[in-house]
Amino acid sequence: MTMFKATALIGLGLLASGCAFVEGGKRSGAGRSVDAGTDAKHLSTLVAGIWIDPNGCDHWMIDDGVEGYLSERLTPDGRPVCSGIAPPNTATGPFRDGSTIPDPL
Amino acid sequence: MSELASDKPKNGKAAAALTLALSIATSPALAAGEQRKIVGEEYTPTIWIDPDGCEHWVMDDGFEGYMSPHRKKNGDAVCHRSQICGVIPADTLFSTNGHRISKSAREQLINFFQNADAYGFMIYGHTDARASDEYNMALSNRRAITVANAAADAGVRVIDVKGFGERRPAVQGNSAAAYTQNRRVEIYCAK
Repeated sequence: MTMFKATALIGLGLLASGCAFVEGGKRSGAGRSVDAGTDAKHLSTLVAGIWIDPNGCDHWMIDDGVEGYLSERLTPDGRPVCSGIAPPNTATGPFRDGSTIPDPL
Repeated sequence: MSELASDKPKNGKAAAALTLALSIATSPALAAGEQRKIVGEEYTPTIWIDPDGCEHWVMDDGFEGYMSPHRKKNGDAVCHRSQICGVIPADTLFSTNGHRISKSAREQLINFFQNADAYGFMIYGHTDARASDEYNMALSNRRAITVANAAADAGVRVIDVKGFGERRPAVQGNSAAAYTQNRRVEIYCAK
């Protein structure tokens, strides 16, 4: 009983502190190709930066508000692109530009 | 059937039983009549195209986002050719079977690289389908290296250099016109 109350309170607290920006809910099928929540844009319009992994290879990195995306940058024949654009373990470029949702974390 | 439920076969016998069960499940006799029950949900992705022109599968599941490169089954990335920033017809640079270039051609390449406004370059050589696959791989590699050397002389960064021989033709077919288009060096600009 006590545990149930605590869970409910945490839920309320989350809603109260960030209610304007909360995204989510049940998604299914083709609905998953559109950003959930406030800006509801098609995912093809995401804006990426580059994250350099510890081996020095590039990944596309997108901070879309609540969602984060990461995917490998590849040569046409599928090998990793290790461009040297920045040192390992750094992110560069406009990876936060795709969304107006503030990122408190 | 209990072997199917166990994800860790404890001995060779269990593994053999699993293999047998799988081979029965995929046999045409079963596929024609009975239906196989799969526990799952529909997850249909859309496509995001990165600044290089390559496709990625992307899904927004509410709070979570998922993304993975779109590859063909052979591992190739699925990319749009419009993102290639320079294609040099091989006939304008090289003699048949040759990989050396003239001084003026080298200067033109240096000029191209210095004005391309890119962070770095990926340079790929291609041939037509005459001669052997092995010969064409080596020839296209030598030609790509020649162009990459000009890039190095221009003071720009070369990210990747490779020859693909006749394996990635720009156009299909065995006509002289197709072969001419397929003899080329492609330059991808990384921005």
